[in-house]
Amino acid sequence: MIRRGLTIVACVVAVAAFTGCARRTIDVGYPEGASSPALLASVSARRVVVTAVGDRRADTSRIGLRPDDGKPIVSARPVTDVVRDALVLELGRNGHEIVRGRGDAIVAADIEDFSLDTVPAGGTTRFVGRVALALVLADGQTGERLLVRRYVGIRRRTAEADAKDAWREVMDTALTRAIHDLATDPDLVTALGRTAL
Amino acid sequence: MTWLVMVITLSSFFSGCASTASAPPVASPPRASVAALDGIRRVVVVASGESQFSVEPGSREPGAEFESVMKWLPYKEILVPVARAVYWGITWLRDDARKSSTMPRDVTPAAVVTETFARTIVGVGPFDTIAALDREPVGDVRRNADAIVRVSVPSWGLVRVRDAGQPFAAAFADVRAQIVLRENGIVVWEYEEDVTSPGRLPVDSLMSDRALTREELVDVLERAGRRLASELLYALGRTR
Repeated sequence: MIRRGLTIVACVVAVAAFTGCARRTIDVGYPEGASSPALLASVSARRVVVTAVGDRRADTSRIGLRPDDGKPIVSARPVTDVVRDALVLELGRNGHEIVRGRGDAIVAADIEDFSLDTVPAGGTTRFVGRVALALVLADGQTGERLLVRRYVGIRRRTAEADAKDAWREVMDTALTRAIHDLATDPDLVTALGRTAL
Repeated sequence: MTWLVMVITLSSFFSGCASTASAPPVASPPRASVAALDGIRRVVVVASGESQFSVEPGSREPGAEFESVMKWLPYKEILVPVARAVYWGITWLRDDARKSSTMPRDVTPAAVVTETFARTIVGVGPFDTIAALDREPVGDVRRNADAIVRVSVPSWGLVRVRDAGQPFAAAFADVRAQIVLRENGIVVWEYEEDVTSPGRLPVDSLMSDRALTREELVDVLERAGRRLASELLYALGRTR
């Protein structure tokens, strides 16, 4: 009886292992080391509400396809969480307080693209990671929209098709570039400065 | 036996799939030495270096039609390699012709990046005056500068970025920037980036429409200028 139970468990684990390997999971994120105070820190500290991030992608089930077998590449965490965490980290690093409920400013973001393309490139593979965010900044007290912007981060890299770190590095860097554009956008700084304290 | 199966299965699971979770090293962004940049107010931005234009060739491998014709040829051992060589040569000539007809002769890549970079930094960064030049400054212009920003575009052109039924391409520019203190030649900031246009266009459209291609190439160079400015501002931190 015990033997049979163990056999079933082994089979279940084997199936889980093989189906898990059929698609590749990468733990994309905005590296903490890539974040530091930038132009956004020139505005005196605001209490900022970062709302749940929306996902406007046509296909939300994957971020790309494996170059070797065409199986899906997925993010270990929902990409909406990845982007929200990045926004929270960046705003916090720039001295602003992230709050729930009522704040001085409201940041709402939608993901328009979060994808990893692969193209054969003369015996190697070209990886192109893209992150496109649509961001709305509103006054926390009046709800007035102060700024609507789109930030696009792209990373292009050539590597071996099975280079395990390349997929993640490409997506991390694309996200980092989008967030750095956001943090150095003088119009966003001006708009944030217009929110009432 | 069951235990053996379990151990092997689990070990393959953890060695195979779990490896995806390991965090690769992420290169930290270049950090400007704030102390070294302190007091720098007058900056000259210079376009420097050569730029290599490239158009990624289409596949040089013969397609299925070629193979189906080849299998009916007599003396395959001799004729098939010759036919392949001829095919490769024709493709190479076609790609070379594409490249020379696609490159906009009136665009100087480093100059476009330099101008956009300077325009983006003005009024936002810590510098009082920023002048964009197409060559190394001399005379009073050089003497009056605290630092020189050298901007180069080693390569630019069109690159395939997606194969979705038909190939899609985008304009690209690989750019570098370096800030050197005029007085002592010390490099205080360096950065390079692979800049790619967000637009993805069918390769055939890009190849057949010169105006569209030129527009895409200029756009990506301007994007490169803004990206360099953005990363410099980020490295500088609180600048106003």
